Amino acid sequence: MTAFGLAAVVGGMFAVGTFLLLRRDLVRVVWGVTVLSQAANVYLLTMGGIVLGMGETVPVLAHHGGEPPQTADPVVQALVLTAIVISFGMTAFALVLSLRVYEENGSLDLSKLEGDA
Amino acid sequence: MSLTSGAIPVLVAVALPFLAAALVPLLWRVLGERTGYAGAGVALVSFSLLAGELGREGTVAVPWIPSLDVALRFHVDGWGLLFALLASGIGVLVFLYSATYMHGERGLRRYYGSLLAFMGAILGVALAADLVALFLFWELTSVASFLLIGHHDGDAESRYAARMAMVVTVVGGLFLLVGFLLLVVASGRAFGTETFDLTAMLANADAMRAALRETGLFLPALAFVAVGAASKSAQVPLHFWLPNAMAAPTPVSAFLHSATMVKVGVYLLGRLRPLFLGVEWTLLLVTLGLATMVVGAVLAVASTDIKELLAYSTASHLGLMVAGFGFASAAGAETGAFHLFNHALFKAALFLVAGIVAHEAGTRRLDELGGLRRDLPFTAVVAGVAALSMAGVPPFNGFYSKEYLFKAAYEAASAAGGLWWLYPTAAVVASIFTVLYSARFLALFFGDRPEALGEVHRPPATMLAPPALLAAVAFVVGLAPGLAVDVAVGAAIDATAVGAPEFDPHLPTELSPPVAMSVVSLGVGASTYPVYGRVHRAIRRARASAPALRPNWWYDRTLGGIDRVGAELLPRIQTGLLRTYAAWALGAAAALVVAGYVAAGVALPTEVGVDAPPATLVVLAVALVGAVAMTRAPSHVVGVLALSLLGFMVAVFYTLASAPDLALTQLVVETLSLLVFLLVLEKLPEYYGELDRRLALRDAVLSLGVGAAVFLTVLVSTRGPDGETALARYFVEKAVPEGGGTNVVNVILVDFRAFDTLGEVAVIVMAALSVLTLLTMRRRGESP
Repeated sequence: MTAFGLAAVVGGMFAVGTFLLLRRDLVRVVWGVTVLSQAANVYLLTMGGIVLGMGETVPVLAHHGGEPPQTADPVVQALVLTAIVISFGMTAFALVLSLRVYEENGSLDLSKLEGDA
Repeated sequence: MSLTSGAIPVLVAVALPFLAAALVPLLWRVLGERTGYAGAGVALVSFSLLAGELGREGTVAVPWIPSLDVALRFHVDGWGLLFALLASGIGVLVFLYSATYMHGERGLRRYYGSLLAFMGAILGVALAADLVALFLFWELTSVASFLLIGHHDGDAESRYAARMAMVVTVVGGLFLLVGFLLLVVASGRAFGTETFDLTAMLANADAMRAALRETGLFLPALAFVAVGAASKSAQVPLHFWLPNAMAAPTPVSAFLHSATMVKVGVYLLGRLRPLFLGVEWTLLLVTLGLATMVVGAVLAVASTDIKELLAYSTASHLGLMVAGFGFASAAGAETGAFHLFNHALFKAALFLVAGIVAHEAGTRRLDELGGLRRDLPFTAVVAGVAALSMAGVPPFNGFYSKEYLFKAAYEAASAAGGLWWLYPTAAVVASIFTVLYSARFLALFFGDRPEALGEVHRPPATMLAPPALLAAVAFVVGLAPGLAVDVAVGAAIDATAVGAPEFDPHLPTELSPPVAMSVVSLGVGASTYPVYGRVHRAIRRARASAPALRPNWWYDRTLGGIDRVGAELLPRIQTGLLRTYAAWALGAAAALVVAGYVAAGVALPTEVGVDAPPATLVVLAVALVGAVAMTRAPSHVVGVLALSLLGFMVAVFYTLASAPDLALTQLVVETLSLLVFLLVLEKLPEYYGELDRRLALRDAVLSLGVGAAVFLTVLVSTRGPDGETALARYFVEKAVPEGGGTNVVNVILVDFRAFDTLGEVAVIVMAALSVLTLLTMRRRGESP
């Protein structure tokens, strides 16, 4: 049953992200992108299966040598780690771009920024 | 590939015009308007090289896409050579003529460049033996023709005509491409492997025909090829672009619209004839050809302009050739091949004569011209020979090929009977109208001279010599048709016919049915000529009363409709508003995902693999609360704090889900993000977000839809903790021995996938540079 809860939370985060993306305030659009990428990261991690952190399950091996234990999926974690960093870069860039849009046009209202104003 | 003929001359003959076209800007700098003579020289070189190949047969191939067996493959045989020699030979004359006719025009660099490229493309079509190469050359002729028809680019009529020719012939070309691909599919059945090699297909025509029949592709392939050929060769109902194309300069009309471009379709039909011969072929092409022959001839009589008359007449004669190739008998192939040759000679001459008349008399209107024989005596002789040939009067050359059409039609009708008698009847009717408009053309030179016609100068020798030469050749062919057969036409007929027919055209010595048909055509035509004016007006009235019968009307309506729909649709799709694009993209993606699940019959799992520990759920629920709070945030600062709440909760989630590295990264990134947000927000206005209720409701519905699609996706695509993948196992096991580190995630990032990480770092550096640029450029006062 808890899986349905997990799916509902991820779905809810996507819904919020979409809603923010459709706002006319450019800052809210940037938030929308951020929320969407957070949600996507959570989804990616759940695809690998969620294992409650209990020492052995963490993909950091205790010692060199010996048969390594079964851990949470490290491939997905590597993917998500990359995604977190990239989305940070994107957020920073989008924010500065928004700042520049405001400086150039004196407005952040997307409904007033259409065309090559 | 066998190489029985000289390979180099053929390649040079095709490549030289293209090379020269590329060099025209340089040549122009040196030669100026004399570039026309250089063009004639190029055409002459190609002509001589190809003439040296007469009587030979062979293939030369330059590999292009070997894995698909596509090559720039050229095959030399009688039929290809006849067409290539006509194109390059008439090309010489047209370039000579252009040098005088186009004197003082602007845009001559483009004109000569396009004309040379066009000639190269035609030689390519004539000699190509690979379907891909053939198709490319075919479309190149359309492009070059677009440029040439639209030469007077300041003139709306020219642009309209150029676009029309382009649309009709290129769309027809796409049909042809489909037809070619069907042939390739059939070749797979016939030979075991699919090939684009046309020579191989023709060498095994029987096997190809059988394969086409077995795969059920015979009719589709035939239909697609026929549409392609008909569009290029102006067959009914696609004939309407040809009279419009008369907006082109006259030398272009003489070259493209009498001898080469419009013959490409006929050429291809002759080329593919052995693959398709059968009753369907005959019914389709003979009907198409004779319908065009009649309609073209009737509309030529209705013309008011010299070039319009010649254009409709060309369509009519193209119909004659198509019909000829349609008949399965040897006489059919003889009609098609011999008339292609004869028509090129007399029609190019007539167009050049029309150019002289327009150039010297200053008008092309038929009712303003007449009795020019006193002003242009030599031109009158040339026009006489060519027009009598067009009418099919013995002993001029047009007579022989038309006689063979009568023979083929009569033989087919008397063998099959019934409705087949319509074929010879239609041929005779069309010939009567042909005699009528040929006489009308002659009346330009004979008959009374209108008083309004001003002074008419004699043309310079460079303009008179080309049509005179063509008429002289036509006259010689008329007197001694066997000569033409021996030199070029005979080999062409052998290549297009099945078997080896005996071809011996000569003047009739006894009254056979075809001869009787000729007599009837000439007799009725000549006796109707006195009432030409009434026939002319009656046709014009009939045509004006029913515009929906004119394909041109349909073309205008279709294109106009497309333009209107496009103009109305564009602002609706491209609103310039981000929300429109985002809404459509996200909504469509969600709809497609759900539709995909429905189509694939994916059932909702009752027992889902992921068993999320309750603690993680609580944390994520708090994150969701943060997210929802963002949508209702009264100010930017509150929203950013809510965003941070979400981010930190996700970090906690990572900790709980056995991903400490992610948690660490997320914490650092969230802290930085918060700082960046706060720094930027300081400079931004406080708040914009009054919610429009109606809009918010609509967005909420869309958002919930997207959320629902994601909900489904999470449910059907996640797996349980027990199923460790082979990939995960591999990295866990190899981390220490091959990466030398115990932190598996780190080893993957900096060792196994180090290049990916390098790329990622590059992205971050680029983002940092962009941020820096955006911030500093404005301060330095530079505009973006």
